[in-house]
Amino acid sequence: MSIDTIIAFSLLVVVAGGFYAGRTRAIRLVGDARRELHSLPNYYGYYVALWTGLPALLVLMAYALIGGQVADRMVVSELTREAAPLTSTYLETLTNDADYQALTAAAAQQRGRVVELNEEISRLRSTRGEDRDPAMIEARRAEQLEVLNLATDTDAQAVRRQEEISQGILDSIAEDAGGYRIRAGFQLELGGNAAKQLFMADARRIADGRIASRTSPALDAAAASLVETEALIRRSVAGLVILMAIAGFGLSRFQIAPSFRARNNVERLVLVVLFLSSLIAILTTVGIVASLLFESLRFFREVPLQEFLFGLQWSPQIAIRADQVGQSGAFGAVPLFAGTAMITLIAMVVAVPIGLFSAIYLSEYAGTRFRQIAKPLLEILAGIPTVVYGFFALLTVGPFIRGIFGALGFEDVVTQSALSAGLVMGVMIIPFISSLSDDVINSVPQTLRDGSYAMGATKSETIRQVVLPAALPGIVGAVLLAISRAIGETMIVVMAAGQGANLTANPLEAVTTITVQIVMLLTGDQEFDSVKTLSAFALGLVLFILTLIMNIIALRVVRRYREKYD
Amino acid sequence: MSETNSKVEVRDVDVFYGDKQALNSVSIDIPKNSVTAFIGPSGCGKSTFLRCLNRMNDTIEGARVEGSIKIDGEEINDKHLDPVILRARVGMVFQKPNPFPKSIYDNVAYGPRIHGLAQSSDELDDIVEQSLRKAGLWEEVSDRLSHPGTSLSGGQQQRLVIARAIAVNPEVILMDEPCSALDPIATARIEGLIDELRENYCIVIVTHSMQQAARVSQQTAFFHLGDLVEHGPTETIFTNPREQKTQDYIMGRFG
Repeated sequence: MSIDTIIAFSLLVVVAGGFYAGRTRAIRLVGDARRELHSLPNYYGYYVALWTGLPALLVLMAYALIGGQVADRMVVSELTREAAPLTSTYLETLTNDADYQALTAAAAQQRGRVVELNEEISRLRSTRGEDRDPAMIEARRAEQLEVLNLATDTDAQAVRRQEEISQGILDSIAEDAGGYRIRAGFQLELGGNAAKQLFMADARRIADGRIASRTSPALDAAAASLVETEALIRRSVAGLVILMAIAGFGLSRFQIAPSFRARNNVERLVLVVLFLSSLIAILTTVGIVASLLFESLRFFREVPLQEFLFGLQWSPQIAIRADQVGQSGAFGAVPLFAGTAMITLIAMVVAVPIGLFSAIYLSEYAGTRFRQIAKPLLEILAGIPTVVYGFFALLTVGPFIRGIFGALGFEDVVTQSALSAGLVMGVMIIPFISSLSDDVINSVPQTLRDGSYAMGATKSETIRQVVLPAALPGIVGAVLLAISRAIGETMIVVMAAGQGANLTANPLEAVTTITVQIVMLLTGDQEFDSVKTLSAFALGLVLFILTLIMNIIALRVVRRYREKYD
Repeated sequence: MSETNSKVEVRDVDVFYGDKQALNSVSIDIPKNSVTAFIGPSGCGKSTFLRCLNRMNDTIEGARVEGSIKIDGEEINDKHLDPVILRARVGMVFQKPNPFPKSIYDNVAYGPRIHGLAQSSDELDDIVEQSLRKAGLWEEVSDRLSHPGTSLSGGQQQRLVIARAIAVNPEVILMDEPCSALDPIATARIEGLIDELRENYCIVIVTHSMQQAARVSQQTAFFHLGDLVEHGPTETIFTNPREQKTQDYIMGRFG
């Protein structure tokens, strides 16, 4: 049994003991005169148990949340401190090394030349008419490529020289336990942020006995240090937990007296527990929104907001190195907004009438028998995983649509189209609309229907002129909720609508949506601070704001409706 | 009661809800141009009987009405008769005011529109105004006909519903405890209105309030446990009932 389990288990035992101790003490204090007690004996038990368990539990939770990070920090700072003399020697050597300095200077100059050439080329390109000299442009571009290759070479040489120097310094360290620790600290100090994280992640894997991406004596040393630090933290936490439990137990037991209002105090403690739970939920939400916001701000520092919102071209492929010639990426999100809008529109055109009409049939016309069978069946539709809808769209609906429109004489109809994704998404949303509308229609008071019948209205007149207007706000709310579902739906569109960011009004072409692009941007190997990756956060923010607005309107509308008839 | 004076003639009506019998062999004549009150303890069948007169029991699943109900000599408890047309002749006002989710104007115009009573919009305006006037509501709402019907107070809503019923020019108006959700002042207004409407319509009112029955009706029928125990001129029922049960109920000994 691990020490964590032992702590948790003994905490339980101590809490149970606290309950028993509080209860018996209260009883013993008054003897047979139970009426003297302010509260029932159990409440004294709960009071002591809560005070024994809660503070200790909070400490445990804090440990579970940040214990690992604290251990990492401690190890990193310890190791880098040990390696500090070595690091400064290295940096000194690097500044005094003539070869290295010459190489970096050369690389900087070459890169400056590339930029110059770049400007010249764009100037040449912007020339129109007789002055335009295509041969010149070609020559300059060739030269640029050459210089660029040269710069890359020089860079590589500089890095090689750097490695030679650091290797020389590392070689001077003894091959013993202390030496490996210093090597680990050296690597941590000189590596970038990402390298540092990678190093610590590997150290942790080794410490936990899992398989690391690479091994080295230095890593082993860091892992050993990690194990040690964690054990230390765990022991202190265990001590703190025991201390908290004992203190809580002692203090609360001391308070018990016949006139002590245990019942009211337990009430207050329960309130604290409930409040903390809701606080966690709220803080999580705030955290997610904040991270979305901050990453988006980083994106908008690179790409202007108006370009993102109004640009007509979306092609997020971006050069991997800053000086690479190639695509610079286009981040105009209008094609994505248009694709999202088109697919949502098609889905609504399918789902709103069918969902609404089936709700009307089920609530107003169908017999109890049919209703009992049909309603669960409709709800099964809501339980189908979206990925299943996705391959239904891709393998069944897509080819079907291609076949039909092909036969009608449309050329180049593709399997992946906005139409097939929209149709299938509509089917997915039908139960959503029908079951919400059904609830709303059922909650229209029977007296309204009776009133209409008593005026000599037929059933359909009553539904059209009285029931639906009364249910309208609720139905609008249902539709808005359905729209925000459609906007956020991903899987069907990934599979059925294709990935090309086409700006088109033709539903037979492949389009892409905000959600699909987020998937595309963030799957596979990614660099987490490139503009391409950051754009996913900006898209996520747009999505969040859109669905938030929809939900707010929907909830408002629904609430107004409730006020009227409850 | 002479044959020519009665508007509704009911003979041996039984009503069943599923297996349960709610009314046993009720026979009664309801006179023209007067107010007939149905009184009796809760669950005695008076509302059920009221709903027979415009076939509203058709809308309840499992309800079955047997026997003969004639309005102006025409049998209405007949499968071949269209209840939609019948209900245009027999209007109904419910316990809780139930204005439709429409404007005041559209609430009153609802019936005339369905039944095509107005040839032009001027004519419809006229029907709406006349109905609201008859219901004593015109003065209060004439400047806000486009406001929603639900924005009115409870008493105004109930008068709106009465105006709505009058608008299709019915012969009979059924009222199912029309004042039970209203305060005394609103109740007094509705009662005054019922008294005025008596001149042109045959009114049947179900009420729990003995005083109301005494105040507004000329005829009273007392129901108990699905039986029509006694009926006759209101004065007779209240001062000199034939049956002991009627007397006990009126004296407040049960119910």
